[in-house]
Amino acid sequence: MADSTIVKPDLDFIKDVKSLGGDSLKKCFQCATCSVVCKLTPEDNPFPRKEMIWAQWGLKDKLMQDPDIWLCYNCNDCSVHCPRGAKPGEVLAAVRNYSFINLAFPRFMGKILSQARYLPLLFGFPILLLLLMLRGNTIPSGPILFRNFIPYEVIDIAAGVFTLLVFIGLFTGTNRFWTILIQGIDGAPTLLSASKSYLIPVMSKILRHEKFNDCVANQIRYYAHLCIFYGFVLCLIATSISAGGIWAEKLFFKGNELFLPPWSFFSVVKVAGNLGGIAIVVGCLLVLYNRSVNKDKAGAGTYLDSVFTWTILCVAITGFLTQFARMAEAAFLAYLFYVLHLVFVFYLLAYLPYSKFAHMIYRTVAMIFAEYTNRKK
Amino acid sequence: MSDNKTILVVGGGMSGITAAVEAAEIGCDVYLVEKNPTLGGRVAQNNQYFPKLCPPSCGLEINFRRIKDNPRIHYFTLAEVESISGQEGAYEVKVKVNPRYVNENCTACGDCAKACSTEIPNEINYGMDTIKGAYLPFSFAFPLRYVISPQIIGTPDAQKCKDACKYNAVDLDMKPEIVDLKVGAIVWATGWQPFDAGKVEYYGFGKHKNVINNVMMERMASLNGPTKGKIVRPSDGKEIAGIAFVQCAGSRDENFLPFCSSVCCLASLKHSRYVHEQYPDAQIYIFYIDIRALGKFEDFYTEVAKDQKVSFIKGKVAEITEDPATGALTVTAEDQLSGKLSKETVDMVVLATGMVPATVQTRIPADVSYEENGFVLWDQNKRGIYGAGCVRKPMDVAAAVQDATAATLKAIQSTVRR
Repeated sequence: MADSTIVKPDLDFIKDVKSLGGDSLKKCFQCATCSVVCKLTPEDNPFPRKEMIWAQWGLKDKLMQDPDIWLCYNCNDCSVHCPRGAKPGEVLAAVRNYSFINLAFPRFMGKILSQARYLPLLFGFPILLLLLMLRGNTIPSGPILFRNFIPYEVIDIAAGVFTLLVFIGLFTGTNRFWTILIQGIDGAPTLLSASKSYLIPVMSKILRHEKFNDCVANQIRYYAHLCIFYGFVLCLIATSISAGGIWAEKLFFKGNELFLPPWSFFSVVKVAGNLGGIAIVVGCLLVLYNRSVNKDKAGAGTYLDSVFTWTILCVAITGFLTQFARMAEAAFLAYLFYVLHLVFVFYLLAYLPYSKFAHMIYRTVAMIFAEYTNRKK
Repeated sequence: MSDNKTILVVGGGMSGITAAVEAAEIGCDVYLVEKNPTLGGRVAQNNQYFPKLCPPSCGLEINFRRIKDNPRIHYFTLAEVESISGQEGAYEVKVKVNPRYVNENCTACGDCAKACSTEIPNEINYGMDTIKGAYLPFSFAFPLRYVISPQIIGTPDAQKCKDACKYNAVDLDMKPEIVDLKVGAIVWATGWQPFDAGKVEYYGFGKHKNVINNVMMERMASLNGPTKGKIVRPSDGKEIAGIAFVQCAGSRDENFLPFCSSVCCLASLKHSRYVHEQYPDAQIYIFYIDIRALGKFEDFYTEVAKDQKVSFIKGKVAEITEDPATGALTVTAEDQLSGKLSKETVDMVVLATGMVPATVQTRIPADVSYEENGFVLWDQNKRGIYGAGCVRKPMDVAAAVQDATAATLKAIQSTVRR
């Protein structure tokens, strides 16, 4: 037969997807209920039914090239209505995990981040790093000033180095992803030039959380993600102002305490930071609650999901604890929580390209591709 | 062990009738207990059998004749088993016989119905029309005797019925009776209920008037049905230009009915023939996961598949929306062969709903094993009571006849086991 296709299943791919949270994928019997109940599916090329059979058949290349994988918001309408408990939403999440793990640069980082047994190593590294950065080997006396414990300059230098590494990782990963996406399209733009044209409409969609709101089964996720997202934005603002002040003091206003922490509880930095922190905690608790009540039908989430949620939650909680301990003038606790806070922040940010956090970037790239190809929905 | 060679058959549908006749014709005494006012069960409600498309009245009438002619068969209508005690070979059974309010003087002349003004929902037609409070369930009902619905007892209508009867056949003082039976074995053939498609929210069954199920389609196509055999839109009686059949409506779905009922595919293929017989130009869509037309039924599928006006779309319908202005329905499925969403707008949708064993609602009042979905098991360790027909697993009429025969043999063995 001239038009026949020889399917070459990648058995390792199937195993990997199963181990990354897609263990139900073989239950699918291709009824396509999922493609109809999905509110995000484009009519001319619906998902996730086709993704399910590609995953069952181990057609890795097809899935890696499929932007739909990233245009699913895991609302699990499909899983709730699935007649077989095949959980397409969870399978797609697992394929996304597989995707960013394997697009990651360097690749071994993706593998390490996806396996629970490396967790001690991944947390041990920032702990060791912070111990090396301590100003002395005793708890500083006098008023609690974190700069007396670990110099800000050292933290910022480390932050700079790791930010650079994160950028290299993300840049390489997203370019790999883009190259796969545009395979077979003549005259496709580079990721950079596509971003120039489409980043603004994409960002507007992201900021409005438009797609989340379309989901039916898991409406709560809209609020959860909204809280976490804008909580992060607030914390980012607080951190930027704070870091800006420190460097302004160092470079231009030597000795002017006005530019240095600790700030008054009602300063912009503190208000933004605390509000952001509360939003993050609320959002994470909603996520955890939602997963626990929906785990039978929608799935409890993958290992990467859990680590990500708990890391964010721990960042926020250790942040609050540090602040409260400082306000209560409990020096030992304040410095201890501060170190823990930095450890979680490190985990969250330095490993960004290899953790669930990477979804932020890869989904954005997929959305840019969707805009570029004029995908309906 | 007792040598009680009497067999109790519960359920007067095709399986129960078969069991009763088979047992009686080899010499057993048989009690046949039917819950409804007439024997015949679901088969009597069908328009045609697949694949030969012959009317079920034919086979039923032969069997009614066999019952009538056989003095060994004692049947009760409007009767239900209340309790069972004892063991294999020696059961004591209490049967409650509800009043029909019409005695054996009835000639089925219909004067009582003419006198009655109250209309009640017609259960035979799944509530698609109404019937008089004094009624004959269907034209060839067995026994051929009117019934007075308990709903009109105590109303002036009941008295009017009594007054209208020339044969002194209406007896409004009838009371429920308890009958004690001693039997050696029991065949339980209470059949099935259509799956309640209203549970599947996205089909809008019970909400959208033009969404019906397959058993309603049978009634519509039947000459003695609510529309005298004319298939029309329930909302406004409009003729059919387009119709969609939704296979596995709730079936093979762990959220609803996890199993395949094995007959719905053939039923829908058969329904497509009903539609084309009345509307040769109607566009018919059959949405399916897989068409299960096995063995001898494959030919029937092949025949229907040749029909240019029947489109088979591989993909389960998971959304039906109604245009409130016109009553038209839009069904959505993923057409897997084109890889696009298929949205077809039609006049009527038929949900191919499956069979729920009657034992889900009413268990056998004895120690009997069931499988996970409520079907009766033939348990080697619990002999004496045997499921037969669709209460044991979903099956078509021909299979039910065979199954009932097999169950009857088991029951006979139970009456003679030493």
